[in-house]
Amino acid sequence: MTNHHPDNDLLLGLAAGNLENGPSLLVSSHVEGCAHCQERTRQLETIGGAMLEALEPGVLATDSLSRTLAAIDTPTPPAYRPPTAAGLRAELPTGMKWPRALHGCTTTRWRWLGPGMRWSRVTLPYDAAANVFLLRIGAGKKLPMHSHSELELTQVLYGTFHDGRALFGPGDFDEADGNILHQPVVLASGECICLASVRGKVLFEGPIARWFGGLVGM
Amino acid sequence: MVATLLAQPATAARLSVVTLQQPRGAMPTSEELNALLQAVAASADRQAFAALFKHFAPRVKAFLMRSGTADALAEELVQETMITVWRKAGMFNPVQAAASTWIFTIARNLRVDHFRRQGQREVSNEGIDADDMPDTAPALDDQVRAGRRERGVRDAISHLSPEQAQILRLSFYEEHPHARIALELGIPLGTVKSRVRLAVNHLRRLLDGLEP
Repeated sequence: MTNHHPDNDLLLGLAAGNLENGPSLLVSSHVEGCAHCQERTRQLETIGGAMLEALEPGVLATDSLSRTLAAIDTPTPPAYRPPTAAGLRAELPTGMKWPRALHGCTTTRWRWLGPGMRWSRVTLPYDAAANVFLLRIGAGKKLPMHSHSELELTQVLYGTFHDGRALFGPGDFDEADGNILHQPVVLASGECICLASVRGKVLFEGPIARWFGGLVGM
Repeated sequence: MVATLLAQPATAARLSVVTLQQPRGAMPTSEELNALLQAVAASADRQAFAALFKHFAPRVKAFLMRSGTADALAEELVQETMITVWRKAGMFNPVQAAASTWIFTIARNLRVDHFRRQGQREVSNEGIDADDMPDTAPALDDQVRAGRRERGVRDAISHLSPEQAQILRLSFYEEHPHARIALELGIPLGTVKSRVRLAVNHLRRLLDGLEP
C-alpha cells in the first residue's frame, strides 16, 4: 500500500516533459508501480492535449508535409528495443526487481559506506551530471542526521524506514528540501533499499556524516 | 462520418473519399480526429493522414517552439512526430485518450528523447538507446474513467481562474516553467510550487465534480 506520492508539480513536470533527468527517473520509478499516480499523470497529459489543441498554430516549413509523406513510404525501422537491466550490477535481495525506469542505466556494485550501510552510484546513459544513487541500509540502522540545500527525492524500493515524520515502505516516494532535517531509521524487521536523486548539497551534521557526503560526490 | 470511415475496407491503400466536412477554418471535433486516426490505422489512409497533419503539425510546432526548441529542430521533431503517428496509429485507442492527448505525448517523448540522445553523445558512445518515457497505458478497468477524464478536463480548465489557467499553460509550454511563472505572476520563486499545487488541486476538484 503506497502512502506517499510525488507532489503535483513533479507529476506535472513529468507529464509536460520538462523535469530534469534525475528527478524524472525518480518520479518515473514511482509512477510505474502506482496506479493512483498513473491516473494523475494521465489526467495531466490530457491537459497537455487540451493545451496543444488551444495553441495558435505555428508556421511549418513549406515542404513539411511532402517530406513527411516521403518518409512514411520508407521501410519502418526495426522495432524499438527497450533497454534492459544488464547494466544494473548491484545485486538485490531475493524477490526484489529493478524498476523499469532504471533499465538502461548502470550501477556500480555495492560499496561500503559505514557499518551496515552500502551505496551504489547510478549512471544515466544520457546525463552525466544527474546525481542519482542507491542506498542499502541494514535492519535497525540509522542514517546520519541531514538536511538538503535544495531537493532530495527518494523512492523506497525495498524495506521500510521511519524518518521521524512518517513511515515509508516499498513504493513510497519522499521529497525533502532545506526545511527538513531528518534522520531515517530502518525498521528492525529487515534492510531497506532506496533510490535517491539529489540536486544541491546534502548537509550533514557531524564529521563522519560529512565524509559520507563527500563519498557520494555531493 | 465515423461510420463511413470505419466501413472502409482494410485493404484500401488508395486515397479515402472521406474528407473533413467542415466550413473553412472550423476546428475538427474530437470524434472526427479519432476517426481520422482510426482510418490511418485500418487502411493506411493517406488522405486522413494529411488531414491530421494539417490540424496537428502546426500545433505541435507551436508547442515545441514555445518550450524553447529552435525552429529547425522543432520542424524536424514535428515531422518525426507525424511519422510516428502514421506508424503507431494502430496503437491509438480512442477510449483511452483523445487524439490530441496521444499526439501530445508522442511529441513530448520525442523531444525528451532528442535531448537525451544529445546528452548520451556527450556521456559516451556505448550505443545504448535513449530511454523511453514510462508506459502509462491504463488497464481495461480504467478505460471508463479515461473517457470521463477526456470530457471533463477541457471543461474544468475553462472553470479555472485566469491565473491558474496561466500556471498550467506555462507549466506545459515553458522550458523553465517555475522561473517563468514567478516572473509572469510577480511572485517569489519559492512560492511557485505551492501555486502549482493549488492550481492542480483545484483542477482535480473540478474534475471530481466537487466544485461547480
